[in-house]
This record gives sequence, structure tokens and C-alpha cells, in this order.
Amino acid sequence: MIVVYLLIIIAGYRDVRCEMSKPALFSLHQALKRSFHSLEQNQKVWNSVLEECGPLMGSLGNLAEQLLALHGVKIPSTPLARFSDLQDRLRFKLLLAVDTVLEKLAEKMCSLQSVRDAVGNQVTAAFQVYEQHADTVDLVTCLQRAAAVPSIADMLEWLQDAEGYYRQQYLRRKALLQALKPNDLADLQSTPKRWEALATPEREDSVSDTLLRVSFFMDSP
Amino acid sequence: MEAKSPGISASCRKWAVSGSARKLKDNAADWHNLIMKWDRLNDDGSTIANQIVNLKLSKEPVKETDMAVEDGQTSIAQHAVTGSAAGSVLEDRCSALLAILEKMAHLVSKMEKLASSTKGVCELQAFQQERAGVCGPLFHTWPATHFEEAVSLLLGSYKEELALKEVIVGEIAHTSSPDLALVYLSCWLYQPYLDHSSKLQLESLLLETGHRPL
Repeated sequence: MIVVYLLIIIAGYRDVRCEMSKPALFSLHQALKRSFHSLEQNQKVWNSVLEECGPLMGSLGNLAEQLLALHGVKIPSTPLARFSDLQDRLRFKLLLAVDTVLEKLAEKMCSLQSVRDAVGNQVTAAFQVYEQHADTVDLVTCLQRAAAVPSIADMLEWLQDAEGYYRQQYLRRKALLQALKPNDLADLQSTPKRWEALATPEREDSVSDTLLRVSFFMDSP
Repeated sequence: MEAKSPGISASCRKWAVSGSARKLKDNAADWHNLIMKWDRLNDDGSTIANQIVNLKLSKEPVKETDMAVEDGQTSIAQHAVTGSAAGSVLEDRCSALLAILEKMAHLVSKMEKLASSTKGVCELQAFQQERAGVCGPLFHTWPATHFEEAVSLLLGSYKEELALKEVIVGEIAHTSSPDLALVYLSCWLYQPYLDHSSKLQLESLLLETGHRPL
């Protein structure tokens, strides 16, 4: 008899908790949706900017190769001997072209930085909403999931992973560009390869997977 | 109305639309057009030069077998055929590049004519100034001699660049060193003798003559 009473009390208490957490749950879901929509947008921007960096990296490697070739050729012993200042002039022009490419890359890095910041801000915002309602949304609710709605805990974790991915990628690429020495031609020549090697496709895929997992949730009202 | 009134200042203003000023203004526009054409030709030439170097580098091993055919009188017919096919493509590309060089040389000869016409105008100006006393600038600030200097600087850079291109066209298909071939290519594309100052000269010429808004 006591046990039955206890069960009724617990069930009632649960109902009350559920009633209390409903608006909290709603606003948390809204915040998560906003974050995922923003993530989706920013992923597109990130990928297109990164794609534009490819040709720039290509021309950087190409210019390094041309500078190396110029370095390796003794102009006075070639048919170009009568152009005494050719080596310096061409070197200057090539370095100017390197500067132009680096400037363009710096612009691209600014775009990448803004993606990183936007994703970071959105994820922080989602976590803030969660913290506001942490008292009303209990652990069971956080872990509950339906066919089309992943659990809050999972979604927060995925957001955090995505944010970490962009943060790490941005820093690595920025560091690579900052460490460039235009006078070190071999260094310059290997830059496109090192840039390529920075890509972590499995983490990029996990961002896409996340977006697929939450696609029904994002479209739900 | 003002053109009819006598006096030096009135005649100076009149110059702004006719006479020497008109001539200099037209010359500046011609310079601009010639240089645009030059740039287009340079881009086309660069593509062709790239093709030549690629053909040349990919042809290198074939050429060795060609030489073997000649030396030992052995019949590696197929190689010889592909070799000669590649050779005719190479020849075709080389003559295309030569045609571009000829067009560029034609542009430079037009530039020379423009420069000598500018020189003539400047001499005329000097002569008139001697007779009529001091006259102000033809447009904004430049004295007539400044036009001559700017134009001769421009002409000098394009002449030197043309000379460089002549050497490149002559040698590009005959070099076996990949490094040197690459240097030829970057010379063609980046035009080391057309530096910032030639661009600056052209732009200031256009600005002074009123083709570019102040």
C-alpha cells in the first residue's frame, strides 16, 4: 500500500516537473535549431572559401617554383645575357606577385575567421540557454530522444565538436600562413602540400553527419 | 566667345580643346589603347609559350629516340611518326608565338610614331612660347616638356620589353633546361621591364589630359 502511494507521489511529482520544463525545453530546442541553422550556413561559407584558397595556394607554389628556377639559372651564361638587370627585375616582379597572392589569402583567412566566430557565438548562445534552464530541465529530459529529435545532450555535444573543428582548423591554417618566409623558397614551394595536409576530412564529415542527423529536428516547427 | 578675345590667357584656354592640346590628348588615348592591345597580346602569347614549353618538355624523350633513329638508321617508325606529329604541333605553336611577337613589334612602332609626334608638338610649343612669351600649362599642371619625358620613358620600357620577348621567342623552343624554360615563361608573363613606373606614367598622362576624372 505504501509502495503504491509512493509511486503515485513520484508520478505526480514527475508530471509537475514535466509541466515546469516544457517552456524551458521549447526555448532550448529553439536555441539549438538556431545554432544548427547557423552551422549549416557557415559550413557552406567555410567550404566555399576553402575551395577558393586552393587555386591561390596553387599559384603560390607555382611562383615559388619560378623563383627557384630563376635562382638556379645563371642569366649571364644564357641567351638573356645582354639584359644585365633582368634577374633582379624578374625577381622583384615575382615577389610582388607572391605578395598579391598572400594578400588575397589573408582576405580569405578573414572570411574563415568570421565563420569560426559565428559558429563559436552560436554554440555559446545555445549553451547559455541550456545553463539558464539547467535547473528545470532534468537529466532524463536531456537524454530523452525521439526518432526525429536527438537528445539535448547529443546535440550540445555535436555543436561543441563542430565549434572545436572550425576553431582548430582556423588556427592551424593561420599558423601556417604566419610562419611563411617568402625568402625561403623551398618552404614556399612546399606550402600548398602542407596546406592540403591540414585538412581533416573525417572531422569535416562529422559536421555534415551532424547536420544530417538534425535535419528533421531543424525542419520541425 | 572667349577664344575671340585677344590675350595669352584666352589663347591658353583655347589650347585646351584644339591645337597642341588636342593632339596630346589624342596621343594619350592612343597610348592607352596600344597598351591595352599589348596586354591582350601578352596574355595570348603567354598561353602559347606555356604550350610550347609543355610540348617541349613532354617531347624530350621522343626526341631522344628520334636521334637514335638518325644515328643508328634503325626503324622505330612509330616513334618517328609521333615525334614528327609533335614536331609539327610545336612548329605551329612557335609560328603562332612569332605572329604575336610581330604584332607586338607593330605596336611598338606605332608607339614610336606617337612619341615622335609628341616630340613635335613639344617643339612647336617651345617655339610658340619663345615668340609669344610665357604660356601656362596645356592642361592642369604639366609643362609641354613633361609629356615628352613621360612618353619617352614609356617607349623605352616597351622597346626593352620587346627586345626581351624577341630573345624569348627565338630561344624558348631550343632550350633543354627546364629551369631556363620556366624563366622564359615568367619573363614573358611578368614583363620585368614594364615596372610600376611605366604604369604610373600612363595613368598620370591620362589624368593630366583629362581622360581620367580628377
